Amino acid sequence: MTGDTHYDLDTLADLAEGLLDAGQARQVREHLAVCDPCGELLADLAAVREVLAATPTPAMPMGVALRIDKALAVEAGSSRGGVGLAPAPDWDELMRDSPWEKTAATVSASISAPTSVSASSAEQPSPEPVRLGVVADDGTIVPARQRRARRSRWAMPAVAAAAAAAVVGTAVVSTGLLASGGGGGAGTVSPPVVAASTAPAVPPTQNRTRARAYALTDSQHNYSDENLEQPLGEFLGPAPILQGPSDGEHADKCVSKLAGRTKLDVFAVDQGQYNGQEAIVMASRKTKAAKRIRIDVVDPFSCKNLRKPAMGRW
Amino acid sequence: MNSPPETPPAADRPAVSDAELLTAHINGDPHAFSEIVKRHRDRMWAVALRTLGDPDEAADAVQDAFVSAYRKAGTFRGEAAVTTWLHRIVVNACLDRMRRKSVRPVADDELIEAAERETPGPDQTLEREVSMEVSAALKLLPADQRAALVLVDMMGYSVEDAAQVLEVPSGTVKSRCARGRAKLAPILSHLRNRSDLSRVSSAKGAELRDG
Repeated sequence: MTGDTHYDLDTLADLAEGLLDAGQARQVREHLAVCDPCGELLADLAAVREVLAATPTPAMPMGVALRIDKALAVEAGSSRGGVGLAPAPDWDELMRDSPWEKTAATVSASISAPTSVSASSAEQPSPEPVRLGVVADDGTIVPARQRRARRSRWAMPAVAAAAAAAVVGTAVVSTGLLASGGGGGAGTVSPPVVAASTAPAVPPTQNRTRARAYALTDSQHNYSDENLEQPLGEFLGPAPILQGPSDGEHADKCVSKLAGRTKLDVFAVDQGQYNGQEAIVMASRKTKAAKRIRIDVVDPFSCKNLRKPAMGRW
Repeated sequence: MNSPPETPPAADRPAVSDAELLTAHINGDPHAFSEIVKRHRDRMWAVALRTLGDPDEAADAVQDAFVSAYRKAGTFRGEAAVTTWLHRIVVNACLDRMRRKSVRPVADDELIEAAERETPGPDQTLEREVSMEVSAALKLLPADQRAALVLVDMMGYSVEDAAQVLEVPSGTVKSRCARGRAKLAPILSHLRNRSDLSRVSSAKGAELRDG
């Protein structure tokens, strides 16, 4: 009889898992039939399974999912040799129905730039009238956030390449990534409007015909889509403003082309790169009061869009 | 409960299989892999979170795993289900992280300490309370036992599925589960008296006892 020897948890766990040979198992069972303490231990073991099974397994948080999307976009970019291999569509045609062409009230439904959650989550509810809104938990009306329309098929390679460039970018870029990956925290607070007033700051001594109506900077910053979702004043503001007529002839040409098409006020222009390619970044808006701006990234020579014009913030 | 790796939930069983998506990905379809990710990320997250017990670590591990799967999709030979393959990559990413942090086997006094630890305050829901206790308890186990218990007891996969994921014989999975449960029993036994759990476990205990 086995009544005098208790079994340890390991043996009982082996029994429960069917790991004991037949003779051993029979012996232990005989003991269990007469030994309450060992029966309790066996019940404890069974409880472990139940508790583990009953522990909920939460869904992946959106922030993590977005992070993984970005990482995979980087992979896609590097394995396909990067930079926009798809032929550039006619952006102006595609953007014809974009919010700029409509009343300010509809601007809240932004054209979604891909992959970042922070761009939308950090939007300040502005005092503009007639915004579409949703009722938040606390009863307040918050601007409707457009559920990100999944990026259209042709946009993918460029997006992937852009994300790839974001990783090899500057420290500023990685900070931006972290901030946006974290679900829209401190990194997305709008900076004070500094450079918006720089256009009139062109010295009056400048030849009036040469004076630009916009602030032209030459940061040579290598922009990524990530950067362009950050408030743009952070990038354009600090760079010295160019005033010489010879400095910005490409920019001037592209600005007038853009302004001619969109009838928007181009107020800040930066010469730099976009994913390693020479580019001019132009910020335009309907009025000075507009919170959201349109960002065009064009090739300095052809003035052709290097990426889809997108909504941004200053 | 979660379904085993081979069978995605019947409700949303997709028209295109995982294997077809993986083939499309290898052939250059830029959207195929994100579809695979979308389908399985929640389960991968659950596995990583439970195995590592830390959301930051889990996020890193799952990201590493998906990127790695993206890269080596070409080496997938179809000898196992895509989900099994993905689980394997995620579990290995987790085990790598645990090894790098050199998780040591736990000493007996720590087990006792954990068993005696005070239960969280009354403001917490039972679910959350249990979840936190389970997380803390799992951390006390060696990595291989933890991984086996997460797959079998928490995720509800069969021992055979878990064995494929872990690339060890079924007997090894059973043995790791048994060792792990034996270590957890003293720590988690007080949860046995929860009204909703005790009934089931006594029944199960009786069933086991009576053979």
